[in-house]
Amino acid sequence: MNVGELLAALPEDDSSSSSATAWEQEKLQEIFADLANRPAPTGSLHRLWTISELSSEIALAYLNFWVRGWFSDAEASQRRLAETNLRVALKLFHRLGYLRGAMAKLGQTLGNLPGIVPNDVSDTLDRLHFDAPPMHFPLVREVVRNEFGKGVEELFREFDTVPFAAASLGQVHRARLKSGERVAVKIQYPGIARTINADFRNLAALLFPMRLGKNWDYTKAQFEEIRRMLNQEVDYEQEAESTRAARKLFRPEDGIVVPEVYAEYSGKRVLTTEFLEGVHLDGYLATNPVQSSRNDFGTRLYTACNRMVYAFMPYVDPHPGNYLFLSDGRLGLLDFGCVQHYGAEEREIMLLADRLAFDDPSLIPVVVQKVCGVSPGDSEFPAYVQMMTESREWAAAPFYSRGPFDFGDERYFRAGVENVVGMMRKRMTGAHPMYVYWNRGFYGVLSMLLRLRAQVNAHEIIRRERAAAGLG
Amino acid sequence: MRITVATKSATRQRILEAAKGLLLADGWNHTTTRGIAIAAGIATGTLFNYFPTKEAIAAALIADALEGAAKEFREGTPENSLEADLFTLVWSGLRKLSDYRKFLGQALDSVFSPLARSSPESAGEALRVDHLELVESTISAHGYPGPRSPVTVQLYWTLYLGIFAFWAADDSPGQEDTLALLDRSLKLFVASLSIGQEGTNERR
Repeated sequence: MNVGELLAALPEDDSSSSSATAWEQEKLQEIFADLANRPAPTGSLHRLWTISELSSEIALAYLNFWVRGWFSDAEASQRRLAETNLRVALKLFHRLGYLRGAMAKLGQTLGNLPGIVPNDVSDTLDRLHFDAPPMHFPLVREVVRNEFGKGVEELFREFDTVPFAAASLGQVHRARLKSGERVAVKIQYPGIARTINADFRNLAALLFPMRLGKNWDYTKAQFEEIRRMLNQEVDYEQEAESTRAARKLFRPEDGIVVPEVYAEYSGKRVLTTEFLEGVHLDGYLATNPVQSSRNDFGTRLYTACNRMVYAFMPYVDPHPGNYLFLSDGRLGLLDFGCVQHYGAEEREIMLLADRLAFDDPSLIPVVVQKVCGVSPGDSEFPAYVQMMTESREWAAAPFYSRGPFDFGDERYFRAGVENVVGMMRKRMTGAHPMYVYWNRGFYGVLSMLLRLRAQVNAHEIIRRERAAAGLG
Repeated sequence: MRITVATKSATRQRILEAAKGLLLADGWNHTTTRGIAIAAGIATGTLFNYFPTKEAIAAALIADALEGAAKEFREGTPENSLEADLFTLVWSGLRKLSDYRKFLGQALDSVFSPLARSSPESAGEALRVDHLELVESTISAHGYPGPRSPVTVQLYWTLYLGIFAFWAADDSPGQEDTLALLDRSLKLFVASLSIGQEGTNERR
């Protein structure tokens, strides 16, 4: 099933909705369908043109609105303004690669793009990634000089001029320090990070006057969460902090390794870490690994994910490119730009949901109120309770199974997807903003385990991790 | 009395040093040829033997800096793409000019004015011709067959001046916005070279 088919299956609005709401829903779906079906621009020339086209397209769109406004009455003109805003916003999504990804996330929370169907999952996660033009070496050299006031040659013994991987708004180069250590140097494309807030202001100005959908306040909060996380993701100093914090969570016997950060060679736009030698998921699967090896890696992946959750810093970018399969059997975790750091409010919600999942199913009504913002007096409360009951049953199933749980069973993943699709169809989109990224992390890990076809003793891992965190 | 070549060169240098000091301290609009002559310890009339206008002095300062960058570029190891080579050439020029960044915006307007180009003796014209020759030889070295059309040359020059103007007013940290603009402008320019020349590829 592709996203278009999902969209076609989705609208099940109640008949009481006004025509204006129907119109909004229709437009929005049209826009997100279009967004989903267009491939992200890849060629650098294409990007270049799209940037220069942007301002003229906005100008044209407004001109169109202005001219049509001469002939229409006030109410219709309001509608056209909304339509024009949407179209301009749509063009913005298409033009700004990284924002397209962000908006796809927002689309998911709006209930239009579940985007978590097994076959699509890696593609979708791929698209939820920053996009920046590749940099040739002279440009890389200048970014490094800007950061440290020194040239690449002065800083490193060796520096590979050809990048070996793409990264958030940049690329990664192999290098060797003067002291001999092999390192990975992540370099950010100049200037883009500073545009995020301005881009979001523009989008907010276009979208916010419309109040689309009944959960619009949640949508706004989720929009703000995305803006906050994107800013965090391009701040390599913050990423260095998160990497150091994550590194402290694992012991050698876990078989999970987080690379060391070299602070002296790291800054806001350059991040230097220990170089880990290994292959990504596709490379690992290509070796046709035996089941026990798959299970071992699956166990490490599941452990890593839970360890970070119980440290209140979930790893919410479980992109296949961020995991490394080392030949000695260890699992490497890379790229800590997209890590949530829970404050008091998020911790309280997380612990409540945790107790609901593993200790006390009777907490369902409390969680519905706290997480979804729906009160017992609301007409939709019973439906939310029902939804939460089903979600809980599904999400906690690996914990309650006896012995290893088969994450490679596609039926399990599909059941989760159907859960989400069901929620979306009923427009049950109220959720605390922390769940925008939480869901991405949760489904991301499950899709990794699915592709690994790993059987993991989830019960044992969760029990152990909870006990270490003083829970259960 | 005969003025030796060495003396002439030293005087020229003194004028340029004095001009640089005044331009940095007082800005483009408040610096006069008279002031420069006084600072250089020569008569205003003598200054005019060397430079007919303030624009000519600015052009000489810019030309000296750019010449230094061009020399380094010629002596350096070529990059493996035309984009990277042109980036190195332009950015090293900007780095050499970084002391003059404050007044460069206004000076450029006079030195490189499109109207001034109608006069072959204009101060900016020599700079333009030198730079474009170097660009042309770099493009050829990367295997793009010539000759370049006047439109291509004008496109490059327009981008180049645009980058200069942008850089002169760029307040972003380390002028990172100029880095991005230069990178994107050169991608655009290099892509334009291939239009209508299918089969012509970068020779590494």
